[in-house]
Amino acid sequence: METLLGIKGPDFVMLAADTTHARSIIVMKEDQNKIHKASDNLLISTTGESGDTEQFTEFISKNIALYKMRNGYDLSPRAAAHFTRKNLADYLRSRTPYQVFMFVAGYDETDGAELAFIDYLANAKSLNHAGHGYGAMFCSSIYDRYWHPNITQDEAYDIFKKCIVEIQKRLVVNLKNFNVSVVDKNGVRNLEPISAQSLTDYNASS
Amino acid sequence: MSNLGIEQFPDYQVPGVSHADFSPYESNGGSIVAIAGEDFVVIAADTRLSSGYNIHTRKQSKLFPLSNQTVLASTGCWCDTLSLTGLMKLRMQNYEHTHLKTMTTDAVAQMLSIIMYNRRFFPYYVSNILAGIDKDGKGVVFSYDPIGHCERATYRAGGTAGALLQPVLDNQIGYKNMNLHGEDAPEVTKERAVAVASDTFISAAERDIYTGDSVLINIITKDGIETQELQLRQD
Amino acid sequence: MSILAYNGGCVVAMRGKDCVAIATDHRFGVQAQTISTDFKKVFHIAPRMFLGLTGLQTDILTVRDRLMFRKNLYETRENREMAPKPFSAMLSSFLYEHRFGPYFIEPVVAGLDPKTLKPFVCNMDLIGCPNEPDDFVVAGTCAEQLYGMCETLWKPDLQPDQLFEVIAQSMMNAFDRDAMSGWGATVYIIEKDKITERSLKTRMD
Repeated sequence: METLLGIKGPDFVMLAADTTHARSIIVMKEDQNKIHKASDNLLISTTGESGDTEQFTEFISKNIALYKMRNGYDLSPRAAAHFTRKNLADYLRSRTPYQVFMFVAGYDETDGAELAFIDYLANAKSLNHAGHGYGAMFCSSIYDRYWHPNITQDEAYDIFKKCIVEIQKRLVVNLKNFNVSVVDKNGVRNLEPISAQSLTDYNASS
Repeated sequence: MSNLGIEQFPDYQVPGVSHADFSPYESNGGSIVAIAGEDFVVIAADTRLSSGYNIHTRKQSKLFPLSNQTVLASTGCWCDTLSLTGLMKLRMQNYEHTHLKTMTTDAVAQMLSIIMYNRRFFPYYVSNILAGIDKDGKGVVFSYDPIGHCERATYRAGGTAGALLQPVLDNQIGYKNMNLHGEDAPEVTKERAVAVASDTFISAAERDIYTGDSVLINIITKDGIETQELQLRQD
Repeated sequence: MSILAYNGGCVVAMRGKDCVAIATDHRFGVQAQTISTDFKKVFHIAPRMFLGLTGLQTDILTVRDRLMFRKNLYETRENREMAPKPFSAMLSSFLYEHRFGPYFIEPVVAGLDPKTLKPFVCNMDLIGCPNEPDDFVVAGTCAEQLYGMCETLWKPDLQPDQLFEVIAQSMMNAFDRDAMSGWGATVYIIEKDKITERSLKTRMD
């Protein structure tokens, strides 16, 4: 039901996540942030089983922080994604698997931008654009049409707008509001959320 | 369920009560291939009839000549093949007596589709390929799914080794992935169609345990049906 | 649907005259949805040896990493290069260690023996039952189609350029008949003095 989106550009990664927290048929909360800042150059967006998402993201974030304390430098985004995947894979074959879907997004001076797709089975892949959840099914075609290797942050933000217009139009589930964050050489920033309200005057075809 | 006339059995095992399942289907194996050319069509089937690890016979033809212009190849559940081909022959004879002419290949193709769809909810478990000469004198192949969906093609493989044979035909007859730089794909000759059909069966017999013994090849032209036989692996 | 067919994909390896070839498709999907078209399932693990893994992607990554670890440990201890045969034996016993909770993969190994330069291909099921034929091995969601193609096109003692043509055609025509595989392919030809990697332009549907 819940939806995560991600776009990688040449020198940034942008993530969007809806802010709905629902339990069965009831919406419990409409302002839940699912994009977590794991370190100065790393974002993790998570969805899935509600307790697991918080627990697992926290576990990964704190371990990444611990790594920095021990070594005096940050884990690269690629290494962070590998660490996350390995933990998820190990838990998958334990008695207490985590049911989480996530994006590990980061920017590194040497390695550049990285967007890692990880699902609950710990299937993982570095991608240019990706989505999790039902909403993502409407977005692959939009990405294929508008994404290009030299994409700017403004363009990426606009692609998210197009995606969210489509999700709000075609998905039966009501996903009102999406938080958007970006990570680049200046670190992590939160951008203006995209909501049904902010999209009232938006023309997706322009 | 008892109101439907079905006995109510618990989902779990109960001592003293046994539930016998009726399974009306069985796969008796076998593979079929058909290749159409400009004025001919080649249709081939192996002759092994089996059930699990047992071979019932090594010389059962799966090709059914319906007229001197049309041949039906049928594999799957052998009893369904027999019922279906029996019904086809009956309906065609009826047509001949009513209209004083033989059914065209296109008409047979349409009728086969309808006969199979009549059993939509208890289908004939068969993989069918119909080959013949159409009303314009061209070779034609029709392939079917078990509930009567009909598709006209120029080449088709079916049966237990259908998945093994079809990509070979795509490549060797359809010239797929061949990068014929601007040239037209060469037209398939009778000799080449027979050679490719034979080769695919030799390959299929290597890997598919339900295909082997020998292949019967029918070559249909406006002059009638010519038959050839080729030995395959017997193990 | 089988877990082995959750992500789709296929690998094939063939022996030639003093050479071997191994090919992979590029699709990474989650059931019917294609997520990425640049996921190669073949990994270069020693100078003249490649490992191909099909099946559940998470297990492809895990098994690849764990095997690399074991292989490196072996090479450090023994101070010599690992040959394809012992590598396959190691892979087989690694998979059998997980007999009752297996990794959902079907591996393919292809390479030349570092000493004798003898061509070697091998595949296994998910619990490590090895098969070492002298012609070709296939794995993945279009294994049947690959068997059909390889069985018709392959013959003994193919030269490297002929072997490339045979493996490329086998691969392309097989996965064009499978919705879960394809979206590009890569072929590696391993000879005693060189390795050729070639990308194939294929149908992207």
